[in-house]
Amino acid sequence: MSLLRKGQQWGTFACVWHIFDATWQDPFKSAHLIKKYLIGLHKPIYHPLNQCGDHVIVINSKEIALRGDHWQKRVYFHHTGYHGGATWTLAWELHSKDPTMIVKKAIYSAMDGTLQRRFTMQRLHIFPDDNVPKEMLENVSNQIKQLRPVPNRLYEIPQEERDKIPRLIQYPSDYQLK
Amino acid sequence: MNGLQLYLQSLLNIKHVNYGGYRYIKRWVSPTQKEITRRKRRLPPQSESKRSNFIDWNRNSEIYAFNTRLSEKFDTEKLNQAFTHKSYIVAELKKQQEMGIEEPKLDISHNEEYIEKGREITSEIVKKYLNRSLPRLPEVGIMALHDYLMSEQMLATASSHIGTKDIILTSEHPVSQQTLAQTFVALVGALVESINVDHASAFVRDFLIVGLANKDLTEIWCPTKPFELLNDVIDAERKMSIEARLIGQAGKNTILSVYHVGIYANKEYLGSGFGETIAEAKDVAAINILAQIYGLHHTSQPLRFNEELNVSA
Amino acid sequence: MSNKHLFQKFGFLRAPFGIGVGRYVCQLQRITIKFCKNHGCSLGIRSFLEHDLIDYAKQNPGVVVYVKPRRHRSPVLKAEYLNGETSWICIANFSRQDIIQWMELLKTQYHDGPALRLLKLWHTDFPSIQGPWTPFTFKNPPLNQIKFPDKKIGEALKFKPTATEELITLFEEQQEAEKFDQKIPVQKGVS
Repeated sequence: MSLLRKGQQWGTFACVWHIFDATWQDPFKSAHLIKKYLIGLHKPIYHPLNQCGDHVIVINSKEIALRGDHWQKRVYFHHTGYHGGATWTLAWELHSKDPTMIVKKAIYSAMDGTLQRRFTMQRLHIFPDDNVPKEMLENVSNQIKQLRPVPNRLYEIPQEERDKIPRLIQYPSDYQLK
Repeated sequence: MNGLQLYLQSLLNIKHVNYGGYRYIKRWVSPTQKEITRRKRRLPPQSESKRSNFIDWNRNSEIYAFNTRLSEKFDTEKLNQAFTHKSYIVAELKKQQEMGIEEPKLDISHNEEYIEKGREITSEIVKKYLNRSLPRLPEVGIMALHDYLMSEQMLATASSHIGTKDIILTSEHPVSQQTLAQTFVALVGALVESINVDHASAFVRDFLIVGLANKDLTEIWCPTKPFELLNDVIDAERKMSIEARLIGQAGKNTILSVYHVGIYANKEYLGSGFGETIAEAKDVAAINILAQIYGLHHTSQPLRFNEELNVSA
Repeated sequence: MSNKHLFQKFGFLRAPFGIGVGRYVCQLQRITIKFCKNHGCSLGIRSFLEHDLIDYAKQNPGVVVYVKPRRHRSPVLKAEYLNGETSWICIANFSRQDIIQWMELLKTQYHDGPALRLLKLWHTDFPSIQGPWTPFTFKNPPLNQIKFPDKKIGEALKFKPTATEELITLFEEQQEAEKFDQKIPVQKGVS
């Protein structure tokens, strides 16, 4: 095998590290996007036996946004296998115990239930906030775009800009805001 | 139409064991076959017998067919001489002596002269043809390709694909690679004597050089210090120096790290390459560019095998 | 799922050394025709030998034809090719026309084609002209200089402006229109 061919093959099968910021994102919709990169479906050289999946680092998983009242109502079921071992954990409880679990479970269930799944999940690295180990961050060469825009909170906008925004209605002085 | 006939025949011919009220396959057939197979397996590996030892062999017609198959005009006597190796003559004389003949003699001559002469001429033809088809390739590269074509393995493959394997006269059986290789060059020698060198160059081109047809030429020869060589080449041609730049990387701290290095001459992109380390990527990039310049790359124009050489000129 | 193919030899499509490049060489080296002089199954081959054999041999001088009469055995055509492969065909009860066609087929082959189950019906040593895809082929070069994670690059694509942005643009347009209206009375005064 000539050096030229080896180099070419090394380039084609290169494993790229992607980073994804999960702030204000729906974990379940993002899961479908992220799983494509993990499995390698975004590559034209994809084949199930090819092992061409990329690494994905998910940051700020603490800041994810669930729809409507899912934080209070969504339930994660687990059974230890023994009698009376069933537990139903609410989403907010699970998130407070381990802020990476919701994203991890979302991506795990988005994938096909093949035996490849456990190995593919090893290429996923989730961090609850910005603190990623320096070596891992140096590997990264691409950022996956978020799916929904992060809303601008009123307290984040500086005062001068806030003044420039045109006022639509002026409440009477004695109006009670809820 | 014959397929249908065969199918119906096979249907009709399948008779069950108790066909017609008597045993169609005798009781002793199966145990006999089993015993024979068992004994065959126990024997040491048996070599195939020589094709020329079978009853359906006519040497004269084989030689004639050899000549016409290759659309060549060999002189029959010289052709026979080219196929006869020294070891055969020695063995034959020995046999005659064993049989009791006091002065053993054989009227055939062997092909040693043809082998030497043929080897020189083939070497010359190969070098000239390579120089013609890859004009920009330096001497080192041409010699490497030449050595590959003139290697024993290559010559033996070329020789066996013409059909010399059964016609060769040697003492050894089965015919060795070396003998096959020698026969090929002996044939070239014989052809030079029969007609001329130019005709022989067509023969060498059509049966030996053609072996480069689908091969990756960079696998046969690769420059050892590609970056320095590329620097010299670009300096000689354009009076510019080259610089290598890192244009991409993936997974820097992993074992499967990939570096993409591009080579530029005066900010003009020449080529790029991938590698495990930056040094390797730089080498690959340089080899890529050199291969494209020299015409060895897989994207370069493929070699032409229809050029006529004037070796005598 | 059938398993008829399990005993068949399989391989990829490959051409022997230099075939097709360089001059044409008939890949058939020799044919051995074994037949019975008496039995009925050799009738076809016997009439072939009477009428068509010499023409065949004249037309293909590069093929050595051996004729072997064998008593009490079925007739067989044994072909030997230049790459060393051999294949035999039983021609019992074949008509003369069939045998002519089989002989013509044998001279056009370089190996027994139907005996090899092809894993791919194509083969190429140089599959790519522009170069195979790499993750860097369509990568935007400025991305090399960026320190990840970058907020601007990671932002979601904006297809529609937000309500606040639309309000601001409407307000600015209104301001522009008012300024323009204010300008006009000044001009009227001049004229």
